[in-house]
Amino acid sequence: MTQLSITSLSKSYGSFKVFDGLNLEAKAGEIVVIFGGSGTGKTILLRLIAGVEEPSSGVIAIGGHDVSDIAPEHRGVGMAFQNFALFPHLSAAENIATPLRAAGAAEDKVKAGVNKVAKLLKIDHVLTHAPRELSNGQKQRTALARALAAEPQILLLDDPLRNVDAKLRFEMRLELPRLLRQSGATVLYVTQDYKEAMALADRIAVLAGGKFVQTATPEDIYMRPATLGVARLFGDPSINTAETSLEADGAGVHVTLGGTRVQVAADYKAHAGEAVTFGVRPESVDVSADSGLAAEVVAVTPLNERTVLLLQTPSGWEFLASLPSSAADIPEPGAKVFARFAEAGTHIFDRQTGERLHG
Amino acid sequence: MDHTSTFEKTLRGVLITLVLVFFLFPIVWIFLMSLQTNETILRIPPSLAFTPIIDNYTALITGQLRTAAGSLQLNFMQNMFNSVLLSVCSVAVSLVLGVPAAYAFARFKFRLGEDIAFTLLSFRFAPALLVLLPLSLYFKSLGLTNTYVGLIWVYQLICLPLILWIVRGYFEDISPDIEHAYRIAGNSWWQTFRKISIPLAKPGIAAAGLLAFIFAWNNFVFALILASADKQPVTVGALAFVTASGIQYGQIAAAIIISITPTLALALYAQRYLVEGLSMGAVKG
Amino acid sequence: MAELIINKVDKIYRSRKGDVHAVKALDLTVKPGEIVALLGSSGCGKTSTLRMIAGFEDVTNGTISLGGKAIHTLAPAARGVAMAFEAYSLYPPLTIGENMSFALKASKLPQAEQEKRVKAMAEMLEIADILNKYPSSVSGGQQQRASLGRALVRDAGLYLLDEPMGQLEPQLRAVLRGRIKHYLREHKCTTILVTHDQTEANALADRIAVMEGGVLQQYATPAELKARPANLFTGTFIGEPPMNVFNAEVKSNAEQVSFVVEGGTTLSYPAAQMSESLRQALGKTSRIALGIRPHALHLGEGPVKGKVVACQWLGDQTHVAVDVAGRTVVSVSQERVSRAPGSDVALNVAARDLHLFDPASGNAIAHGGQPA
Repeated sequence: MTQLSITSLSKSYGSFKVFDGLNLEAKAGEIVVIFGGSGTGKTILLRLIAGVEEPSSGVIAIGGHDVSDIAPEHRGVGMAFQNFALFPHLSAAENIATPLRAAGAAEDKVKAGVNKVAKLLKIDHVLTHAPRELSNGQKQRTALARALAAEPQILLLDDPLRNVDAKLRFEMRLELPRLLRQSGATVLYVTQDYKEAMALADRIAVLAGGKFVQTATPEDIYMRPATLGVARLFGDPSINTAETSLEADGAGVHVTLGGTRVQVAADYKAHAGEAVTFGVRPESVDVSADSGLAAEVVAVTPLNERTVLLLQTPSGWEFLASLPSSAADIPEPGAKVFARFAEAGTHIFDRQTGERLHG
Repeated sequence: MDHTSTFEKTLRGVLITLVLVFFLFPIVWIFLMSLQTNETILRIPPSLAFTPIIDNYTALITGQLRTAAGSLQLNFMQNMFNSVLLSVCSVAVSLVLGVPAAYAFARFKFRLGEDIAFTLLSFRFAPALLVLLPLSLYFKSLGLTNTYVGLIWVYQLICLPLILWIVRGYFEDISPDIEHAYRIAGNSWWQTFRKISIPLAKPGIAAAGLLAFIFAWNNFVFALILASADKQPVTVGALAFVTASGIQYGQIAAAIIISITPTLALALYAQRYLVEGLSMGAVKG
Repeated sequence: MAELIINKVDKIYRSRKGDVHAVKALDLTVKPGEIVALLGSSGCGKTSTLRMIAGFEDVTNGTISLGGKAIHTLAPAARGVAMAFEAYSLYPPLTIGENMSFALKASKLPQAEQEKRVKAMAEMLEIADILNKYPSSVSGGQQQRASLGRALVRDAGLYLLDEPMGQLEPQLRAVLRGRIKHYLREHKCTTILVTHDQTEANALADRIAVMEGGVLQQYATPAELKARPANLFTGTFIGEPPMNVFNAEVKSNAEQVSFVVEGGTTLSYPAAQMSESLRQALGKTSRIALGIRPHALHLGEGPVKGKVVACQWLGDQTHVAVDVAGRTVVSVSQERVSRAPGSDVALNVAARDLHLFDPASGNAIAHGGQPA
């Protein structure tokens, strides 16, 4: 059952258009991640759904009802902000109690509700502290607790892990899905970190250029990106690209990279002759082959448990390969290797539109 | 470890003393004058040794002034009452009007917003004399001359701009997200304003209120022209001591001491907030 | 190319509120042409150290010498050091190109050569298209690259880079790291870079100096730091995801060595996998802190049992969080695996991947069966 729906939503400030004609539906209990770079309007979208700002046009519906005329305090939404937005003059417990008090709950129910959610988020020992006495991690959990306290149907989380240190961010990334599922709310989670998006989402809506470029499961986004832009945003190191063209002949379909023929799936035959952008993910580059694209290793840079090689073909095309650090025979700088590309990580995009070509 | 030499320390002490003497001398002198008779004051050369008398203060408080020409009724305590009434009421009105207005200027970007705000501030720059003549004519035709209502209204020219500019800065400092959070939690705009915006801007409101009080209290020219003896505050009331039979310096001095005491006490008590409030108003906008 | 020797250097910031001992008795040597990273969280002393080397701070005690010459008493300009600042510090009235060539004006290079260098550096750092723009009109990431380019384009005995890549767009980072590392190697630049990002340090540096609270914790190659961290701090600081740490009790006899972890899980290994000297060292202690890196914890049959909390596929790896007797443990797999949350799972770890630390001091006792 659709809990939240956005139809043809647009927002402009004067002549500056933030986004235009956004459509999105979220089912009850679903976690939808809104992913995009800074300045793409993700926070503004959340504000529109919460009701603290008005859209220029379009309809927002919660639980099937159009909420355009409903003030934020009556929308039944819980929200956690990037910079926490805790009330500085109230204790952590009072902060968390706010939605319960606003709903007019009796004092003992308020206390019980606050303790329950504080225990869940492991901040029950700092409930009496003022916000300025809390660490960043505790502030973030207090903000989350406040959003969850009244068990809202819709949860809006605006990049809650952004201002939290790396270690804690990692811990929360593992804990949050369980927490959010337990709450049963429909969640809209905003982030710029693709790993966070893939880790938390049932579906990801990629916001770019004022539109949702792709809305799909993490698997679809990563394995079948709709555009070159989406492919670039997911993956570290980023996908390798080269501008070339598709050619078909008796041997099959190929592109020419660095003067060398690189075979691609025969399914692309329909697009033979077109100008394309060839893309291959670094983890799909195999450098242990005896034949393929000739390249020299320019630099070797470790990246956590993987080793990234910067390679260059004689014609000057630079590309990256990402190997597990435990792999045998990692080449040294200066070594000459042959690269082969696995089909799963290879994509062809239309050079003009950036859209991925299907075989 | 401080590396200032003894020479620098003594020099610093001397300079500070000189500055203090320069600023405090008039007040100290007036205080001494208030404890002397007219004769002692006018004696040449002036001497620091004298027998203090409190006759000047008693005269002001009881309202009876004995001069060479006989007894004179003094209305000084009435003037004190007027000062208190005018200042307190003006500040109250300006807070009720100014705080929501400051919020509007801080949060809502409307056309000409900055222009209106600056115009309101410009009232502080303009000399009151510019508007006094037309104002007195309007007052006469409106029947507002020598009324408390009229004076409180005019005093808004002094108080409102201060409230607006100082409190606006404090409201701007509150992250809008905090107010959004309170609303989303289920509270109306008014509840948010009452429970979140005002408490968080309280230091600014207090500082602005204090400053407005001090400026209202010190105002001279509006009450002088637009009111008569029974409604005039202490600033004007001191003129009464310039009598036909001579200037009563002793009483003037005592009147001055009594009239600066409230504002001096307030300023000393709240000086930290005043500095904060003043610099906030200066830096923002 | 020159060797940098930091000898027993202290830095104490004195103020009326009290002294801050930012750097404590630091001994560090950077070989000619080596790339060294000073790594630590904020306040650990890494920036103070860099500023002392550059000459923007005085050395409270100790000496710093470059190429055999003492430089800690010289003015910054006389030290032959090039620095890229964290706050970019580009000159606002000059264009990006002029900023970068400014540094070369003092050199004796001919004009044409100067222009060639600036252009090549700009192309390497992907800022060739903004050479004519002013710093205020380009993005933070571009300004940072310009600042870096300005330092690298000079010929200097030592290059100091303060958080040089923090603002870079994520998509550019991997390629630029490779190019910068290649450039530094080719030109044999002795380089010190300061960073709080252990991924960056691992990518670029030959050796990493891990600092905390003004004290040097460990100075070693990235591989050594990962395989043989000197203490718990270094062990948990390096590596993403961070090392899993358990409190465990050691039980050993002639046949096997067992680690009993809180909650009752027991990891047992044949005595043959632990060296004799290690077993002797262990014999004296019964409580240890056991560290296992997430990549060393494998899914499959094994003694560590629990319920899956989360299974997150991130494109090129999968992170599995498991609840083992009330605490969350992380395992990383380089392939795509799928385990439903709530399902039962077992994990194992080889003896050679175990890190043993003293729980009181945090110092390492053993790595992979061999004493530390």
